Amino acid sequence: MRIKIWGARGSVPAPGPETMHYGGNTSCVEVTLSDGSTLILDAGTGIRNLGLALPRVERPIHILLTHLHLDHIQGLMFFAPLFRPESEIIVWGPASPEASLRERVGRYISAPLAPVEVRELPSHVSFKEAEPLEWDLGPARIRAQSVNHRGPTLGYRIDDGDTTLCYIPDHEPGLGAPLSQLEDDWISGFGLARGASTLIHDCQYTDAEYPNHLGWGHSPIADALEFGQRVEAEKLVLFHHDPLHSDDFLDGLCGDIHARWQELGRDPGQVELATERRELEISPQAAPVGA
Amino acid sequence: MSDQKPLELILARNLLSSISTPAFLVGQEGALLFYNEAAGALVGRRFEETGTMTAQEWTAAFGPFDDNEQPIPYDENKLTKSLREGRPAHGNFRICVAGNVHQDIAASAIPIVGPDGSSGAIVIFWPLPEDEETKAAAGVTEQSEVL
Repeated sequence: MRIKIWGARGSVPAPGPETMHYGGNTSCVEVTLSDGSTLILDAGTGIRNLGLALPRVERPIHILLTHLHLDHIQGLMFFAPLFRPESEIIVWGPASPEASLRERVGRYISAPLAPVEVRELPSHVSFKEAEPLEWDLGPARIRAQSVNHRGPTLGYRIDDGDTTLCYIPDHEPGLGAPLSQLEDDWISGFGLARGASTLIHDCQYTDAEYPNHLGWGHSPIADALEFGQRVEAEKLVLFHHDPLHSDDFLDGLCGDIHARWQELGRDPGQVELATERRELEISPQAAPVGA
Repeated sequence: MSDQKPLELILARNLLSSISTPAFLVGQEGALLFYNEAAGALVGRRFEETGTMTAQEWTAAFGPFDDNEQPIPYDENKLTKSLREGRPAHGNFRICVAGNVHQDIAASAIPIVGPDGSSGAIVIFWPLPEDEETKAAAGVTEQSEVL
């Protein structure tokens, strides 16, 4: 399994010279499975560039949405394969008692927010509620599970052979009780992420910023690291960077993050801040491509 | 693979751990999954000491008790019957508290229903005043009452 990060920013796109390195596009990760097929995790603005780079293939394209906040669906309407008649696109996402997934996504892809309606898209698009569910896509077993964020939100676990990717980009597992005081099975997302070869996890705030954002659905560095350590993730990729965090600011956090990961008994080389266009081979060793 | 509790139970526990109203979190089959510090202070045992208890274990330890001071089986508790029908309920009970003495309480139970159906219930409770005049002034009754 292999991944490429097309957007790692949280909340709102943050383009500009101060975010050139980590990137300004919002959540989108391309996953290439062992048989060469592609999954897409979230449809933030990063999916626009991914759509331009994807080769035209006859296979269906599966897009797994964690939730429908705008930073996770904003790029969907600009995903080139949606406008190709030969494309088959299956959008997975959380169920809601209020309306179907198609109806909820359609609120964005419709007037007055968009010039087209879902029914006008020339591709073959279908929507499937993914909660709570396990299913197979090609060689991979996909598991979706609700996690602690604001509104219906899923995390995904993708098992392909002996490797596992877990993706929980928006997550506040420490809300209400310190993680250190909770048994494993009382931690949101624990079962989903346990033993993952690579865990992509929310880390929007510094520890100093977090008290002013309690309940907003995102993690501070301390909780992201502790969660990664508790689930024994082989590699931890910290994701969903706050739009106010410039490259210089994030670079300044790296040394501290590596040191704290090491203090938790982990290899400091196995934690990193998500970077746009970064590619990783997901193996038990999680060696970076070209390293 | 070790799994986790349903998210709605996790969030309920987090809520209970953050409030000062005595409260139990009960799961399916009546297991006592968690109780908060305020409840621990009332019953005289911290949750960290007892851990999760089966319905039989916690009713034997804490009650509620009937007029003959006998524990009321979980399945015969009016709150249980109401919760199993997906309805909230309220009632007055006698339980065993710190010092191994019996204490009258009022309890309100709220079912927790997640996407997969019922996960359990939150039961909040508070001691009732002891003398009858105060009880009357507080507007409480001796009989359990289902809302």
